[in-house]
Amino acid sequence: MKDLINTNASQLAEEIRTNKIKKEEVFSFFKSRIKKFDPVLKSFVESYDQPVKGEGESSLSGLPIAIKDNICIKEKKVTCSSKILVNHIAVYNAEVIKRLKNAGLNIIGTTNMDEFAFGSSTENSCYGPTKNPWDITRVVGGSSGGSAAAVAARLVPFALGSDTGGSIRQPACLCGVVGFKPTYGRVSRFGLVAFGSSLDQIGPITTDFVDCANLLNIICGHDDKDSTSAFIDVPDFTKALNGNVKGLRIGIPKEYFSQGLNQEVKNAVEEAKKIFEEKGAEIIEISLPHTEYAVATYYIIASSEASSNLQRFDGVRYGVRAKGESLEDLYTNSRGQGFGDEAKRRIFLGTYSLSSGYYDAYYLKALKARTLIRKDFDQAFKKVDVILTPTSPTTAFKIGEKASDPLSMYLSDIYTISTNLAGLPAVSFPCGFSSEKLPIGVQLIGKEFDEFTLVKLGSAFQSCTDFHKEIPKINYE
Amino acid sequence: MSNFEIVIGLEVHTQLKTKSKIFCSCSTEFKSPPNTNICPVCCGYPGVLPVFNKKVLELAVRVSLALKCETNKSIYFERKNYFYPDLPKDYQISQYKMPLGERGILELPSGKKVNINRVHMEEDAGKLIHKEDCSLVDFNRTGTPLLEIVSEPDIRSPQEAYDYLTYLKLVIQYIGSSDCDMEKGSLRCDANISLRRHGDTKLGTRVELKNMNSFRGVRAALEFEAKRQAKAIESGEKIIQETRLWDVDNLKTVVMRTKEQAHDYRYFPEPDLLDFSVSNELIEGEKALVGELPIERKERFLKEYKINQKEVDIILASPWLANFFEEANKAYPKSQELSNWLLGPFLEQVNALEKGFDSVKISTQKFAQIVRYFSEKKLNNLAAKKVLSLSIATDQDIDGIIEGEGLTQVSGEDQLSLFIEEAIKDNPKPVKEYLEGKEQAIMFLVGQVMKKSRGNANPQVAKDMLKRRIEE
Repeated sequence: MKDLINTNASQLAEEIRTNKIKKEEVFSFFKSRIKKFDPVLKSFVESYDQPVKGEGESSLSGLPIAIKDNICIKEKKVTCSSKILVNHIAVYNAEVIKRLKNAGLNIIGTTNMDEFAFGSSTENSCYGPTKNPWDITRVVGGSSGGSAAAVAARLVPFALGSDTGGSIRQPACLCGVVGFKPTYGRVSRFGLVAFGSSLDQIGPITTDFVDCANLLNIICGHDDKDSTSAFIDVPDFTKALNGNVKGLRIGIPKEYFSQGLNQEVKNAVEEAKKIFEEKGAEIIEISLPHTEYAVATYYIIASSEASSNLQRFDGVRYGVRAKGESLEDLYTNSRGQGFGDEAKRRIFLGTYSLSSGYYDAYYLKALKARTLIRKDFDQAFKKVDVILTPTSPTTAFKIGEKASDPLSMYLSDIYTISTNLAGLPAVSFPCGFSSEKLPIGVQLIGKEFDEFTLVKLGSAFQSCTDFHKEIPKINYE
Repeated sequence: MSNFEIVIGLEVHTQLKTKSKIFCSCSTEFKSPPNTNICPVCCGYPGVLPVFNKKVLELAVRVSLALKCETNKSIYFERKNYFYPDLPKDYQISQYKMPLGERGILELPSGKKVNINRVHMEEDAGKLIHKEDCSLVDFNRTGTPLLEIVSEPDIRSPQEAYDYLTYLKLVIQYIGSSDCDMEKGSLRCDANISLRRHGDTKLGTRVELKNMNSFRGVRAALEFEAKRQAKAIESGEKIIQETRLWDVDNLKTVVMRTKEQAHDYRYFPEPDLLDFSVSNELIEGEKALVGELPIERKERFLKEYKINQKEVDIILASPWLANFFEEANKAYPKSQELSNWLLGPFLEQVNALEKGFDSVKISTQKFAQIVRYFSEKKLNNLAAKKVLSLSIATDQDIDGIIEGEGLTQVSGEDQLSLFIEEAIKDNPKPVKEYLEGKEQAIMFLVGQVMKKSRGNANPQVAKDMLKRRIEE
């Protein structure tokens, strides 16, 4: 069989359409790669023997896609990689799943993640960590680490992830793929198991911007079932491919290039900046003065919402029920045994922040800080069209390295969380490799509902670089 | 007891009359088998999101306006977090900091004014059914729209609480926002009660009462609790801020939880629903629908129909009856006659019907027609009642019934004179008594004439003819 791993998804779909290859062959190709590599990588929670088949037609029809384990696929397990949901079968399809099926995509399986998307390394999964295909002693980032690793290792042409504070972009960065978080409200959250409801957004993880644009075309758009879904027209993102970026103004926030940023990462991002400059974009230094409050603000808001969102996992209606003499025992035992440490930590943090007597000092103050962070971006976007930053301060770290230090783990998201607080679209894409041959990513942040410009810039970058074409050689012996 | 002033505030939950639930499209039908009107959304399955049913807002705004509340135009929901098996998400979507309406007032028919603290929208929980070895939960009611109406502690006696509830129910039924049927759970009431020495301005420690299943139950629980608290204070005990349950079997209140055990609900704005504003169009539209409150209607009835207050009270106690009365007046504007018939034979017959007013089919025009025929002496009392009984649940043609049943009143003197002659001839004793000045005796003779005519005679005409004939 032809080696399909150097072909992007959009091209594969074209070959299926023109009968150069059968979609069944494509499926078994990727299925065999999963069988071969995933016992080592552990990027999948479940890979189906028979795909969940789509019916409609689109530029991507016939292709397999992997779905993060927190998006509901009817009659399939959705566990959020948590012990408390290991037996839970979804009773309905998420809106994005409906759209994928209507576009003729076939779902090949569900991917590993940090439990309930709490984490930046996919180590907080009840199934164990996913290994980075570039170095299996290293983490894949998180929380959509399974999706990013599976795409990077070409176990699947593309995947969906979810991003609450960087959970698409940071693993995409650490795995050397493209991870796109659309504007809050652009993609329906119906059927995405909620973490931080005011921050969560589903997005694509792909090997390049062509696939990203095609997938965005399918998943974006208003949904009546999600009240926070926007009534805003969706452009054809493929029209942004290979567009002219001349004259576009790119802002460089000085706060994102200060202490804590790894030198190799910094250099690679500087190089990316130069490439855009060569292509005619204008580089403008800007300031996002409230950046230093982003991590604290984010952890209060996200954990507060999470503490409430996770209340429903109580052992009463679905999921795992522990034994208990009384109702209270049933609750405490189910939750005590079902949730992992990080989930408990966030529930405590959120519960505390919302408690009477602490609400004003924490939750309310965080809401105010959120407004200031939003205003920073409003101000910046008066001067520039997009903002360029590193995605992650470091390359992939060692498995276990930060597991016992939640604070340093939280700082992995320092460049990504502000955009969730502001609801803005952002994308991470590969811009180089470290001396250890670990991928480095750069992030572009766009104006509200201006994903189009991000695709335009990203594809322009990829038209003259080859970082996204590099494929990890997985050492699985 | 008389040493103390009783201070009561009431929290009423009323189910707004929508076809579908507040955040999903499931039916709100009351009688369905357990767990049939449910979906992933109202059962709180992972990944679901609420979508607000705008009909709820209309009905809620209507109540807010009827209670003369200041209606907040910028609205958002909050989450009230607590664990309970009948609450699928383990949080309730409710309103907290910014309720729909605030600072209202309800003026009772007695003239007493009760201030309304707030009205707010929220979703109902499910229902637990406790069996010997397990508990079952029915989620049909989960997500049913509720309006919570919180009064200020302005109520001063258990009877006043009863009057407040009775009138509040009437108002809400009137404007069509809720059925307020306690049996179906579409109206529930919790009460807060405290005592203080007469003249004190500071409120005493309050106790919350729950689990009352009727207005009488609310009154009885408050009466019990007032006595309990008075006794406790008199004997030097301190009242503890706590929640007590009304034990309807033993007619007493028992402790449910103390303040220390109270929940911290950790309210925060519901991120799954956007803030929204209540439009002026909606408010104006609802204002028009609120129209006249029962107390305003009462004044108008007294003035317009000139029937006495007692009659008005009975008619207005039921919105159905009041509307029927008003419609009938349009067809036949003799209000007193209509009222006599409505509150007499009509109500009597309605009570005998299986479903009360729901079984009534007769149109207001036909009802008015019967009353008019009686007035015009086309039908006597007995015949008119019979026609009513045949048409009340059928709306049959009145003239058709009269024709078919042979109920045309015999008032032609030629037809009657034969019966008159017979009655006088057969009953010499009453005739003699009448002639001796005993007015009452004539009624016996009228009765005889009625009997002979098989009820078809007009008694007034018969009476006049008898008098004339005897006095000849």
